[in-house]
Amino acid sequence: MVVNILVDGLLAAVAGIGFGAISHPPRRAFLYIAILAAIGHGLRFYLMETMHLDIATASFFASLAIGAFSMWFGRLSFCPITVLYIPALLPMVPGMYAYKSVLALIKFMHHQKEAVAAANYMQEMFSNVVVTVSTVFLLALGATLFIFFFPKRAYSMTRRAVDRP
Amino acid sequence: MTKTETEINEFTRFIAEYATCLLGSGVHTSRVLRNSSRIASSMGLTISMTTFQKSIILTVSDEAETHLLTRVIEIPGLPISFEFNSELSSLSWEAVDKHLSLEELRQRFDTIKAKPKMKSWLVVLLVGLANASFCRLFGGDFGAMLVVFISTMIGFFLRLQLQHRGINHFIVFTVSAFVASLCASSALLFDATAETAIATSVLYLIPGVPLINGVIDILEGHTLTGGSRLIQAFLLISCSAIGLSCSLFIFQNILP
Repeated sequence: MVVNILVDGLLAAVAGIGFGAISHPPRRAFLYIAILAAIGHGLRFYLMETMHLDIATASFFASLAIGAFSMWFGRLSFCPITVLYIPALLPMVPGMYAYKSVLALIKFMHHQKEAVAAANYMQEMFSNVVVTVSTVFLLALGATLFIFFFPKRAYSMTRRAVDRP
Repeated sequence: MTKTETEINEFTRFIAEYATCLLGSGVHTSRVLRNSSRIASSMGLTISMTTFQKSIILTVSDEAETHLLTRVIEIPGLPISFEFNSELSSLSWEAVDKHLSLEELRQRFDTIKAKPKMKSWLVVLLVGLANASFCRLFGGDFGAMLVVFISTMIGFFLRLQLQHRGINHFIVFTVSAFVASLCASSALLFDATAETAIATSVLYLIPGVPLINGVIDILEGHTLTGGSRLIQAFLLISCSAIGLSCSLFIFQNILP
């Protein structure tokens, strides 16, 4: 179990670094992005495997954790917390659900005239869309909440400590 | 403290470039406003700013309001850069803490803007690795990971090339999604988890930055900018979905 969580976290860290690289973060941010991605995805894996939470709820708690740790890491790296947590959240995007929605839509179009099949595909598409959208929304919300709890702290990350008067 | 008209003029030119650079490289609205007014107050000036998706309206005045200057500035379409976000935010604190003059500010601003970016081949490689491990997270086997690694690199390289040529964003996203998922469909030929491979191959296109900035903006009351960011993100996601569905349309009968 522990090994599974670690492997999961490691893969998420690699994914976080890669998705982060697209947005050109400062070099010092990569380490923290990797750790945050690993914490978030590892936690979600744990919650879904042992506590059998659904993907949306588990993602919410995981993104809360990412948000909380980014408040600390932001201080360490002098990066705004969005710089750290946006790439870290990306490995948690429910890609399979998104894919299944698109596939079901295409199959629905193809089988439109067959009532039973069409209804099945429609239902499949709809449930996949609902899971995708709510998971993404909760991911964005969970990490962002910390900005609203601690606005002063969240918005002074880039002030260098040595320079403080 | 009163300032001469030329001083205000020059400062306005600087802050206009600073603020639009931040907005163009994917920073949420309230941070841009805060950073800009922080610099302004370090100079004894006040600014008011209204932001839209494509332009900002900026008014600069000295504290006595003897001189006022208003300008409308276009926001350049820059690639997203977290580096600008961090370093330019830092610069605004430095302006306060070290009482930098306008020349010093301008100099540091230019240094930050001139910093070399990460080499594109390295970014392409990292994105390929990222998507391959993403594929693994969704339960793909090693064959699928390899296919995803290669097709993501092809797709992302294509995206960079097309963007470099200044082609419309929506076309870029649709074409890169189509090409990446088409390449990933080659997993159908091998004994690999093809479904996972195709599903993951387009995920490097998720516009995470406008999505989350949109949510932040709306929650902070900048509903218009936030809304337009979300619409933009939604359209880009739709374009990737269209690209993906072109591939799925071709292979729909062999797919599980």
